[in-house]
Amino acid sequence: MHNKLFAGCDVGSTTGKAVIINDNGIQGMAVCHSEIDPEETAKIVLAKACASMGTEIAPKDITYLIGTGYGRREVPFANENISEITCHAMGAFSCLPDTRTIIDIGGQDVKAISVGRKGEVIDFAMNDKCAAGTGRFFEMMANIFRMDITDFSNLSLQSQKIIPVTSQCSVFAETEVITLLAKRKNPADIAAGIQSSVAKRCFTLMKKVGIQPLVTITGGCSKNIGLIKALETKLRMPIQILPVDPQLMGAYGAAVLAMKKA
Amino acid sequence: MGFISQIQDQMLFYQSWIKNYQNIIQMPLRHGPIQTFQNVNKYPWLWHLAKVNRLLTIVTNGRQGNYRRANAAVVEKIVPNLMHILDNLVQNTDRLVLHEDMVPPEILFAMGLKTWMSELLGILMPIVDSHSVEKYIDIAENAGIPPDLCSLPKSTMGIILSKEVPPVKAILTSNSPCDGGMASYQLIKNKLDIPMFQLDVPYNFYNDRAIDYFANELKRMIAWLEIHTPGKMDWDHLRVICEERNKMAAYELELWESLRQRPAPLAAEAIYLSHLWCFNVTPGDPSGTELFKYLVELANDNVQKNIAAVPNEKYRTVLWNPPLLHFIDLFSWAEQQYGLTLIIDSMSYNRQPFIDTSTIDSTLKGLAHIMMTGPMARHTRGPAQNYFNDMFYIYTYFDLDMIFIAGHIGCKNTAALNGILREKCRKKGIPLLIIDYDLSDPRVVSHDGIIQQLDRFMENIMNK
Repeated sequence: MHNKLFAGCDVGSTTGKAVIINDNGIQGMAVCHSEIDPEETAKIVLAKACASMGTEIAPKDITYLIGTGYGRREVPFANENISEITCHAMGAFSCLPDTRTIIDIGGQDVKAISVGRKGEVIDFAMNDKCAAGTGRFFEMMANIFRMDITDFSNLSLQSQKIIPVTSQCSVFAETEVITLLAKRKNPADIAAGIQSSVAKRCFTLMKKVGIQPLVTITGGCSKNIGLIKALETKLRMPIQILPVDPQLMGAYGAAVLAMKKA
Repeated sequence: MGFISQIQDQMLFYQSWIKNYQNIIQMPLRHGPIQTFQNVNKYPWLWHLAKVNRLLTIVTNGRQGNYRRANAAVVEKIVPNLMHILDNLVQNTDRLVLHEDMVPPEILFAMGLKTWMSELLGILMPIVDSHSVEKYIDIAENAGIPPDLCSLPKSTMGIILSKEVPPVKAILTSNSPCDGGMASYQLIKNKLDIPMFQLDVPYNFYNDRAIDYFANELKRMIAWLEIHTPGKMDWDHLRVICEERNKMAAYELELWESLRQRPAPLAAEAIYLSHLWCFNVTPGDPSGTELFKYLVELANDNVQKNIAAVPNEKYRTVLWNPPLLHFIDLFSWAEQQYGLTLIIDSMSYNRQPFIDTSTIDSTLKGLAHIMMTGPMARHTRGPAQNYFNDMFYIYTYFDLDMIFIAGHIGCKNTAALNGILREKCRKKGIPLLIIDYDLSDPRVVSHDGIIQQLDRFMENIMNK
């Protein structure tokens, strides 16, 4: 491994992500659950990313490291920290240079980002006040259905007729869904209603920054197939699937920026 | 910045501080101890206004040289004026008229009437003390006023409901600038049970018919005031007041011209707080003209010496909507943090600054025009194009780098416009920040929350 290594470490509210790159592309990556201490999360995930490379590489061998995510200011060993909005934009742009709009659905917030022709952020809008529509919300919903998150995200694909879930608040939505299940409504139809209501929220946020193709999705919830389908229906355009794990997009963007800055 | 300059700046602060306290103390001396005690008991908000010298600390913090002098001069203008307005609590109360901030006080001054701008407390108190109107907002909401109404009329209504309003004898209002403001006057009328006159501002006001109509409205208001108050119109006095206002406006235009320089010689409160007070509260007051003359001198001096108000000016912005009342220190913070200079705000920008005083009719038409096309009035009424035209004109005229919108959650009118504005700014490539906040209530979005929004914008959009 003669190339210099650059890394991005995304310390999110739910998970920590790290990506290590060099001139040849991605060399290592890792995801772990967030610890209480963001510094600890960063250390663990970075060590895992190094280990994933299968060589003797250690975090100290990284030439330039950029921290991002909500805990980025608590990563003292990073050379720099950059907002996750900028990093997601750069990450998605590096994967798909025609990306113009991103919806980033994380564990505890949702962001819509308008991306320029050089991967710069033109505008952004975010919801960090309300849990509805975030990863936590989906975890809560999956729990009501006694399913893991993967099964829940696929459930809505079997729906024949969407049952709208109209509550805007995650607490009230939980009550509404429990009531619908108790009335023995088709779980797949209820799940489709949940996905549709989150898609509507995302659509509203995306409209604020302007919806221009290509549209892509990042963050942990990008693995929710049911949500992607609901969002595509709402947007009336396809959502481009990124070639790199979209959950890692913040860390990947940070690594790309690290390479540019070093 | 040299040591001597630092000493001079500090001396300026203390001199100004002492001068202001002398003015504050004179009011209880004029009223006597018993009357002062009664006033404080009856109007608890006097305690907050007694802290008006805090404003000096806020507006001079981090500012140097002429910029510091200019801001201190604005506070030195406000303090004695405010104390004299407070004299109206006990003197000549039979002539005391409560008026909405959109109703021109020039006419009342010319009629020998005393004014109590209803919104003054709701505007000034949070500027002096961030949390001071929360109590009145809660009183209004507890009485059934919808929580999503603008917090300025809510705080005004809270004061009325608390029976802490001075002994006014008549009410003047209009159908501007918004539904919340209009609704509050019906409550004020019902609670005070005194006569009220409401001016009717036409929807589309860029034509002679509208100006004639509204000048006639002003005539009707004068006739009404002559019936319901001891005031009598002195047309010569009105002419003198309007001519003095014109002089002040001429200096303001000169000041704006200097602001087009990059870097700007003065900024922020020296520009918007001076306008807010002198043009809305004390128009026609020669000391206002003197203040603007002084501001022009300071600005020109800085231009000649190539001194910037903000030494490391990097970005220039306009603030749309009223300033963030409970957090006016935001811009002194932004100056130091990002070299971000507030050049002007939308409340200060007046498209029709002069009044033709050659005849009574032309004077009234001039006042009518100023009121109908005044800031906020023309932005929250009439075609949406008024809002965008002004915004982009200011952006170009003052060579700005971005637009900030104080996205007051209680302002439904601008909430709708801001969606269109986002699209327009995106097309023009103008960076836009809409700050989510409440005008008077820091419990809705805290100062930290506002700073976080600005940080995100600067970091992600301006790459700082």
